[in-house]
Amino acid sequence: MSSLCLQRLQEERKKWRKDHPFGFYAKPTKKADGSMNLQRWEAGIPGKEGTIWREGVYPITIEYPDDYPSKPPKVKFPAGFYHPNVYPSGTVCLSILNEDQDWRPAITLKQIVLGVQDLLDSPNPNSPAQEPAWRAFSKNVKEYERKVIDQAKKYVK
Amino acid sequence: MGDPSIVKIVGQKNYAKLRSVKVLLVGAGGIGCELLKNLVLMEFGEIHVVDLDTIDLSNLNRQFLFRQRDIKQPKATTAVRAIQHVSNSKLVAYQSNIMDTEKFPLSWFSEFSLIFNALDNLEARRYVNQTAQFLHLPLLESGTAGFDGYIQPIIPGQTECFDCTTKETPKTFPVCTIRSTPSQPIHCIVWAKNFLFSQLFASSTSVATDEDLGTEDPQEIERIKQETNELHELQEYIKSGDNSCIPDIITKLFVSDIEKLLSIENLWKNREKPTPLHNFEISNQLNTDFSSVWTLQEQVNAFAEVTKKLMKRLATEKEIEFDKDDTDTLKFVATAANIRAYVFHLPVKSLFDVKQIAGNIIPAIATTNAIIAGLSSLASLRVLNLLKHIPPTDPKDLYMAFTAKASNISSNRYLSNSQLATPNPRCPVCSIARGVISLSTSALKSITLGELLDAIRTKYNYPGEVSLVDKSTQRLLADFDFDDLLGKSLSDMKLGQGSLLLVADERDDEEELKCSAEFYLQLDATGNKLRLPEIEVLSFKPQAMSPQEDEPDYILNGNGEIIIDEDNGDSRKRELEDASEPAAKMAKLDDDAIVLLD
Repeated sequence: MSSLCLQRLQEERKKWRKDHPFGFYAKPTKKADGSMNLQRWEAGIPGKEGTIWREGVYPITIEYPDDYPSKPPKVKFPAGFYHPNVYPSGTVCLSILNEDQDWRPAITLKQIVLGVQDLLDSPNPNSPAQEPAWRAFSKNVKEYERKVIDQAKKYVK
Repeated sequence: MGDPSIVKIVGQKNYAKLRSVKVLLVGAGGIGCELLKNLVLMEFGEIHVVDLDTIDLSNLNRQFLFRQRDIKQPKATTAVRAIQHVSNSKLVAYQSNIMDTEKFPLSWFSEFSLIFNALDNLEARRYVNQTAQFLHLPLLESGTAGFDGYIQPIIPGQTECFDCTTKETPKTFPVCTIRSTPSQPIHCIVWAKNFLFSQLFASSTSVATDEDLGTEDPQEIERIKQETNELHELQEYIKSGDNSCIPDIITKLFVSDIEKLLSIENLWKNREKPTPLHNFEISNQLNTDFSSVWTLQEQVNAFAEVTKKLMKRLATEKEIEFDKDDTDTLKFVATAANIRAYVFHLPVKSLFDVKQIAGNIIPAIATTNAIIAGLSSLASLRVLNLLKHIPPTDPKDLYMAFTAKASNISSNRYLSNSQLATPNPRCPVCSIARGVISLSTSALKSITLGELLDAIRTKYNYPGEVSLVDKSTQRLLADFDFDDLLGKSLSDMKLGQGSLLLVADERDDEEELKCSAEFYLQLDATGNKLRLPEIEVLSFKPQAMSPQEDEPDYILNGNGEIIIDEDNGDSRKRELEDASEPAAKMAKLDDDAIVLLD
């Protein structure tokens, strides 16, 4: 991890503590010796009220590469997470997390988690990442909604 | 040795000084060999050479101190042995990693008057830069890639350090592009090398650990693992060692997986659809010319043949790593990438081209290395103020140099010099305070993190809200929201000789914050329990330090370097852009190039 990366991650932690959206959590993970790993965070994304995602708080891990903030962090849901834009491994495909698209070094943790929350209920059908959720979303809305609501129960608030 | 010609340049008095100077040369490769020769001819008193590496066949065209018989020998010791007989300097070689804190503690570095960097990677460059900052040692940084090269003298506290400008790092590709929608040949090569090859032949990496899966049901876990491990079926084929399944492997990779992608119609709304490799046949007609582009049939034949070979090897070797010089692995990656390129209607590459890209080969040119090493040695005489006819140099009158014609910076000159910039006040490396904490071995066991922090707070007037990070192992040990470890002793937390601790002011909404400070732990045998260094820790106005507060626009210039767009239009900014371009480029080219995101 470069000094710039470290400096920025401490800054992110400070900013999150000062101001973060309601219902979300985010903290660095602990290493075996009890110290904290600033390059790997755990966060919780609440589903928006009034959507089929509302019952759950969805866990993600955020991994910051050594070259952050030149490079974006990698955001992952648990493997097998049901969503059209989430890979089977759990990796999220989101333009603000893509170096070739909308990633900018100034994007903060708060903007990332809000971006992921937005993605939950407004999947991008042009960027499918897994077959089951994408197929159901575009061909069988009933089944899609049922599966999403089932999944929400697994991550109930 | 008679009257050395260097005396004519520096004069008798300075020559005497030169003979007493002890310098460190980090790296004995392309630039390092050239530099060592120059430093020996300049008759520096003592030259210490550090290099971790051993000599490779491909080094011999330009690393002229090495011969065929030296292959596999350590670079540092071999270089010294090769030049010893013409040397009037004391030469000391180390085959070690410069970042080894046990072998090279801070006190070891402090014996030198000047450091020359002749390195090939960003991490070691950053480490030496930081060490030079600690000891206020002048550093001559250098690098080359093809026809491009640069030198940058770094005078701690007075001129810009290596990390004052953002360095471009290797490009990464989003997983979506690699797995589903390649649009350039490189995407197929990354897929073949970092995804396909490594999943099939390299150490079997489990895709997800149980704790990530969000369920405890063993059946569910099994299902998810099967699903995530997309190449599971193929791994089974490969492990079976059964040659008859090779057509099945080709079908899976280039027909059924492609058909699966095609069934996701939205992917292809704005893209050309891939064409699955239906009705392929395998014959034994093979092309052996690595520099021509093979036909699809030749690719398929070669893929089948080399897969067979690798399956056989896997039975005895357990795992095979990709190596550009291992023809089997190169052929596998090249043919798989090329067949995929055919499927996606992308340009196909020769094996030679794939080798360059997949093996991450940077063209190294002996002449560029010689020019850069020459400039570096000349600059050292100015840094040390040893030139007879030039008055003592203000660091700001020193110049960096880079070869400019090749990079199209200037059409009519090969070499450009630009004056060194002053340190970047936002630089996370050179804008902070530094010092050495010495303590006894028993203090490591008796002093707690909390006690150490209190001592630092009192001594340097830090507020209650600080964070403590162990930079050597990148662990956050304490901050405003994390005090679990304060009761632990330093040795409990594995802190000791060479540990690097960073203390930062974490207060919010303050007009002024204390600068961060970095402390190097040094064991002291003289019985001092704990001695904090006499250093001054200044304050700063946080607005200027925190890029998010005022949300400036970031602009990425052509080199991926971040320029903060401010309206002050000062000349420094322009200088920074100009001066740092080749440095940024070097950093990019010298580092490992391809990283796959998933």
